Amino acid sequence: MAEVRLKNLTKRWGDFVGVDNQSLEIHDREFLVLLGPSGCGKTTTMRMIAGLEDPTDGEIWIGDRMVNDDLPKDRDVAMVFQNYGLYPHMTIFDNIAYPLKVRGTPKADIAPKVHEAAEKVELTQFLDRKPKALSGGQRQRVALARAIVRTPKVFLMDEPLSNLDAKLRVTMRAELKHLSREMKITTVYVTHDQIEAMTLADRVAVMKHGVIQQLGTPDEIYNDPANLFVAGFIGSPAMNLINGSVQDGMFVTTGGTRLVKVGIADRADVILGVRADDMNVFEPGEGDIDVTIYAFENTGESTLLTVQWGKQRVIARGSRHLRKNQDDVVGISLSPEHLYLFDPETGVRIQAE
Amino acid sequence: MRDNTLKYLLVLPAVLVVFATAIWPLVESLRLSFTVGRLNKPNFPQGYLGFENYTWAFWEEPAFWNSVWVTGIYTVLTVALTTLLALGLAMLLAPGGRLRSGVQTLLILPFAMSPALIGVSFRFMFNPEFGLFDAFFGAVFPPLADISWLAHPQLAFAVCVMADVWGWIPFLTLVLIGGLASVPPETIEAAQVDGASGWRVFRDVTLPQLAPVLAVVIILKSIFSLKTFDQIFMLTNGGPGTATQTLSHYIYFNGMKYGQIGYSASVAWLMVIPMIFLTYAYAKFVFRKAS
Repeated sequence: MAEVRLKNLTKRWGDFVGVDNQSLEIHDREFLVLLGPSGCGKTTTMRMIAGLEDPTDGEIWIGDRMVNDDLPKDRDVAMVFQNYGLYPHMTIFDNIAYPLKVRGTPKADIAPKVHEAAEKVELTQFLDRKPKALSGGQRQRVALARAIVRTPKVFLMDEPLSNLDAKLRVTMRAELKHLSREMKITTVYVTHDQIEAMTLADRVAVMKHGVIQQLGTPDEIYNDPANLFVAGFIGSPAMNLINGSVQDGMFVTTGGTRLVKVGIADRADVILGVRADDMNVFEPGEGDIDVTIYAFENTGESTLLTVQWGKQRVIARGSRHLRKNQDDVVGISLSPEHLYLFDPETGVRIQAE
Repeated sequence: MRDNTLKYLLVLPAVLVVFATAIWPLVESLRLSFTVGRLNKPNFPQGYLGFENYTWAFWEEPAFWNSVWVTGIYTVLTVALTTLLALGLAMLLAPGGRLRSGVQTLLILPFAMSPALIGVSFRFMFNPEFGLFDAFFGAVFPPLADISWLAHPQLAFAVCVMADVWGWIPFLTLVLIGGLASVPPETIEAAQVDGASGWRVFRDVTLPQLAPVLAVVIILKSIFSLKTFDQIFMLTNGGPGTATQTLSHYIYFNGMKYGQIGYSASVAWLMVIPMIFLTYAYAKFVFRKAS
């Protein structure tokens, strides 16, 4: 049980900056997700917390102890690796027991704890096998069991689901969520998958180029993105970004279509962000603007309409019963309460007045 | 012509060369090992003796047992020392280790020298009048100066071991660096996070995963140590007396110097026995890894 505090943490390799002067406070028992594309510094941040990487600058605190100079073994953390990091020469039992063994747990206590952890991840019938004899999902469970077999101060998970196939990932995600709510241990979770971040996190830190772009609850990240990067990164399909300007309080596309009223002062260059879900589809003439369908996709639970809008293409989500054909014309209107405006130069969100 | 026939025809020259230069001499030496086989007498090989050469080596020749003993100790010492030192160096030089490429290149250098040359250069270095070690001890620890290293049985043996270890460390280090590189780094990191000290990470995680490579290294080095000849020949020529006379040197001496081809062939075949075991073990390890 402990909070983790990063103070002005920096990691540089020569000229390359991995993590750039970041401060972050992870609350006790919080599930924090570091989210970002590859190379954004999220894994480096986690490895510095684990002690597998030395920070170039800044401080790492776990609980009330600065751990910069502590070896990984002295930090009392448990880590789940992307490719599991199981010991191939040990049985599953020995793999799970290893953290207990090296920390001098009395022999008599080890077996019950290993069985308890194995039970939590439903592995009890595989304890005599070697990792090689297990499937990817089972190996991931072993790695998880090895982390939860003792009660560390902090859990660190480095893309633990990314080597699993899509179906297994969904079930393991739910299991992870269930386990984490049950164990209530401070967890730092690294992923590039926004769905994992949205579903698992208490709070998400979105990172890019070694800098945290936004820190907030999944709700805040999704509904109140701080900048263009966060807006574009979160959500599937990605948020539509439309270039234009603001004239007389109205957003006008570069093509000259006056679209919706936005609550900001007039300016020449602006990017309007709108999610597919907030683009409403109507019959021709009934929306704000008529557009031609470039592609119509039926995903089962909804329909996706890629429409040609001047020189740009945008995606709107229609109801699951909507049936249209390519080159059909539909009407589109935007929900004014869910529009985001960004400065194209800096990417910063322009808040309505 | 069928491809099948052609493929055998293409391999045939190589098979013939190997047969003429390796298989035939091997068979011929086995035949000679049952003969009198004196080069310095007429009518070579002077008729068959049955197993008399073999029993002679076993029951009548202390020099044979001396060379077996020397070879045994020599092999155990050089294999153990070379492997341990090479493992230590490999840990330092491996990616993520503490030393890097400049040093790596420098340390590979001894491997570029032929064993005979190593023998000659060590003989010079241990020369009691102008050798490197004489000068070194003269400056640092005078009581050890002016020792005739190669004239003293145990010291000469130690020098032989040292020269061999010196010459073989680079190769073994290279192989072990390769072995270490194949140990998944996340298993080591997992152990560190799990709470293992540096030594325990090495013992519990690195070493077991390195074991197959280590086994190959030990077997290979044992084969090389058992058949050591050139270095000893140039460094001490088996002396003083027979203090550093290995089996291959003993075989050479009896065959080439005393002309007892029959007898030395029989001793050579005795040496084949441990070699077969080691080669078999080596093949087993290498092919198990490959499959």
